[in-house]
Amino acid sequence: MIFELCKFLAPYSASFSFFRLVNYITFRAIMAALTAVILIFIFSRHFILFVHRHCFLDQVRETGVHSACDKRGTPTMGGVLIIGAVLVSMALWGDWRNPFLLCSVAGMVWFGLLGLWDDVSKVRLKSGDKGLSERTKLFLQGLFSLIFAWVCVGPYAPLGSALATKVCVPFYKFPLGDIGPVLYGLFIFFFVVFVSNAVNITDGLDGLAITPSIFVVAVLGVFAYVEGNHIYSGYLHYAFLRGAGELMIFGAAFVGAGLGFLWYNAYPAQIFMGDTGSLAIGGTMAVMSVLLKQEFLFPLLGGLFIAEALSSQIQDKIGVKWIGRRIFYRAPLHHNLQHKGIAETKVVIRLWIVAGILALISLATLKLR
Amino acid sequence: MLLVTVFLVLLALAAAAGAFAAARRWKRPEAAQARVVLSGGGTGGHVNPALAIAEGIKAREPETRFLYIGVKNKAETVIVNKAGYELRYVCSEGYPGIRPSLETVRFLLKLALGIAQSIVILTEFTPRWIVATGGYVSAPVVMAAVLLKKLKIARVKIFLHEQNSIPGQLNALMGKWADKVLLTFPQTLSFFPKAAVVGYPIRHSIVPMSPEEARQNLSFQVPEGREIVFAFGGSQGARTINRAIVDALPFLFPHRKKLFIIHGSGLACSAGYNAADDTEKRIAKVLTPEQRSVLGDFYYRQDYFHKIAEIYSISSLIVCRSGAGSLNEISRIGKPVLLVPKANLPGDHQVMNARAMRNAGAAEILFEDTAMEKGGLLEYLNGQVLAEKILAMIEDRPRLQEMAEKSRDFLRRKAIERIISEIYEDKRFTDGNGHVAPFRDLVGNSRLLQMLSEAYAHSGPSFDPASVVEDPDDLAYYRHRAASLLSHKNWQDRNLGVKLIGLTKHLEKIPTLLQMLADRTPVDTVRRIFGGDFEQVGFIRRNIVNALTVMDWFDPEVEKHLFEAMEDPYFEVRVQACRTLAHFGTLLAGKNECVDRLQDRLDDGCFEVVIEAAKALGEIGTDWRAARALLSMNESHYWQVRNAALLGIKRMIERGVLDPSNKLIADISSFILTSTDFRPHFQIKETYAAIRKCSEGLKPGSYCRQGAADSNQVAGKIK
Repeated sequence: MIFELCKFLAPYSASFSFFRLVNYITFRAIMAALTAVILIFIFSRHFILFVHRHCFLDQVRETGVHSACDKRGTPTMGGVLIIGAVLVSMALWGDWRNPFLLCSVAGMVWFGLLGLWDDVSKVRLKSGDKGLSERTKLFLQGLFSLIFAWVCVGPYAPLGSALATKVCVPFYKFPLGDIGPVLYGLFIFFFVVFVSNAVNITDGLDGLAITPSIFVVAVLGVFAYVEGNHIYSGYLHYAFLRGAGELMIFGAAFVGAGLGFLWYNAYPAQIFMGDTGSLAIGGTMAVMSVLLKQEFLFPLLGGLFIAEALSSQIQDKIGVKWIGRRIFYRAPLHHNLQHKGIAETKVVIRLWIVAGILALISLATLKLR
Repeated sequence: MLLVTVFLVLLALAAAAGAFAAARRWKRPEAAQARVVLSGGGTGGHVNPALAIAEGIKAREPETRFLYIGVKNKAETVIVNKAGYELRYVCSEGYPGIRPSLETVRFLLKLALGIAQSIVILTEFTPRWIVATGGYVSAPVVMAAVLLKKLKIARVKIFLHEQNSIPGQLNALMGKWADKVLLTFPQTLSFFPKAAVVGYPIRHSIVPMSPEEARQNLSFQVPEGREIVFAFGGSQGARTINRAIVDALPFLFPHRKKLFIIHGSGLACSAGYNAADDTEKRIAKVLTPEQRSVLGDFYYRQDYFHKIAEIYSISSLIVCRSGAGSLNEISRIGKPVLLVPKANLPGDHQVMNARAMRNAGAAEILFEDTAMEKGGLLEYLNGQVLAEKILAMIEDRPRLQEMAEKSRDFLRRKAIERIISEIYEDKRFTDGNGHVAPFRDLVGNSRLLQMLSEAYAHSGPSFDPASVVEDPDDLAYYRHRAASLLSHKNWQDRNLGVKLIGLTKHLEKIPTLLQMLADRTPVDTVRRIFGGDFEQVGFIRRNIVNALTVMDWFDPEVEKHLFEAMEDPYFEVRVQACRTLAHFGTLLAGKNECVDRLQDRLDDGCFEVVIEAAKALGEIGTDWRAARALLSMNESHYWQVRNAALLGIKRMIERGVLDPSNKLIADISSFILTSTDFRPHFQIKETYAAIRKCSEGLKPGSYCRQGAADSNQVAGKIK
């Protein structure tokens, strides 16, 4: 809104000329991040109270006596805060005619609503492991991925059909080749479903999911800025994606919201993001990296999420269900580390460091090609 | 296009006209002659009650026309034809289970065809009542009738008779549609909303008679003054019983002067099992030629007895399966029985039947066992066990007498009269529920596991499965069922079996468990690539070792296998083996071999194993050697390992094998004590919990019910 207003007002008078600032993506990005972070600071206390009261109405505490060291009873659904802050911030600073932005927001909202449904039904059923059935969840995730895959390879591709189905890998300048819309669509489908679930699995310790996703989204934002900028993309030999810069603003809003959330989510957490948050973050990251043609960078950039998801799947599907033994001591990864005697806070910080290193390496692929 | 439409319209019109005509037909005979469709079959147990009910209706309305609808080449073909009722056939097949497969498709096709056939037969015959006695045979008939009723074509009442205490899946489904479900056992009431307990209708030919009278009717000679044991497995015969009774012969041989065994081996002669043939072969195998030459003195075998009432009457003891039919016939005559229920039937109904009769005091139960034979799974009953049981029962004369009386009371008398009164709705025989025993369901394996493991977690080493499963017979059956899981192909099932054997303390199966533990048959290559090792997968081996702890059983054989398990390629087995050794610490204390092996484990690559080995050393070690080994772990990478070493040393001091000397204190101080893990505690939660604790037993919110604002009052009530 502010973006439109300023653009509208700027030409009318010399005294409004500083409104031209909104034409600079960097300015809008900073403003979006600040807006998101401030929004979270303003609303989270009320939100935590609201969730707490609601849980209190809906959820009966099973045994009554809580052990003094467990974390049950912490309000959840903090993802609503993140999504809300990003949406409001983007409403103020974003250009809503931009297809990149629309795709990302659609991904975030769809997965967020799905997670919200899951969270609410968990509260309803008063159980942590019931909730939405795995099949319904997968179906709805798959449905979005299908639509998104069709958008990406179809006639309305924001990337432009020349680039849409090309495979670009990190550390190499040129596209490896064109694999055709069907294969590429299928790939997008699996990629989006996998990534969104990966974040869901990672979200197991206080602050573990949010910080690495801030890193990932920040790096993707840098890529968006480069690819959306004619000069930089030419200089770094990236295909120029007109309008991709808008994703940088989205990413900045997201980073702001994430930082604000971390304020409350840091150990010991006052609020959890819940499935609402983890699915939304996963969906956002997946959609962003597909839109920026960095989907093959993601295994490196979001290596932490991939490792968490793979360790959990390998342990469960191959080990426990099929060959009848444990492959890791515990799964997913962060529980394995905890089991080895590393304290929760230490596990979290170490994994942040790992995620940070991965993000730096990924950033290096801008130039190292 | 037009043609097709016209054709379809014509077809619809024809169907409507047909339906209308059929509906008219149904109205007409309403007042006139009664027509009854009988259906049900597959085995004699389903056919005989249908015929018994028909006899009852006939006695009341001699003009009634009957039509029996069955499946070709099943028990009804013989029995119904012999009884002289009109018989027609439809297609149907046994319900193969919910899993989608080729069988399910075939089942559905046959059922659909059967329903179509039944619709034709029913509209032709226009019955007033349908009496179904269950089994898949009656399914298409009942479904067709329900369809016709829903379309307002037929005016027919459906009666379903359920013979067993637990209904099969098809019967449970049909029971929802039937106008009335007639039950044999009061326990079954919970399955059907519209039901009445009537008992089991028994053939008229089964009547009690004196042994002398019975003897005269027999086609073969039975020597006087012997105790007669009649063993049979139903009309088709039961392999378990046939083989067991033959296996028992050598053990019964010394008592041949006071015993006489009548053996009904059954009519079965399929490719899988030929009853007569198999029995003869087995006799030749287990008996010496001399024994065989005098076998006729105390043993008589025949495939099938048409005059079974006579045989029942002269018997002192009957050995048989616990199908509802057999039990009720025996009860009609009033004889004690030794039951060998067939296991793993839907809802375990034979076990339930047997239990009902045993609770009434009329029966004893022997469970069959499962064994691998020629690569297949086979039920068997040990001949010696059977022989001993028979002899023990025969020798206790007064008890046998008592059982016979109880057996007579077991039957719900006048079942046919009750059924007729239900059908004609004149309620002449509706009474209370007769002998109502408190009914407990047998639980499924996974539920059983849950119950047992909860109890075990609660009571620890003093755990006794009898505290969860009170009835010893139930426990015996559960043990048997767990043991039968061990030979399943699927490792998940075997794993469940292992856990259940441990928790039910089935000590006889320990050798089998140890054998499985040592089994080194490799799994297929694909699984090996992904990290699998042996056919008895890691979880199974771990749970076997754990089961030994649960069963609290230790002998040299167990010890040997535990030592082997400590070298197992899978870390959890090694962990569990160390734990189990620690559990038996008092028995192993000071054994050099054990200490050596535990010391080896301290160098294990897997830290979990090292932890458990260190703890076990604390239980088993008796000298400085063990202590030194523990002290050498003072700089281990994992704090849990260092902690376990300290725990071990602490345990050794507690046990009094290590003196807390100055040197020890000095040695211990070399341990790295910083750890990277901690446990938070939230003060507010502690306070909250403290309040909860002191208000325990108080009704929530009770202190403010009268709006008492006075704090004294509040405090008083909280106390």
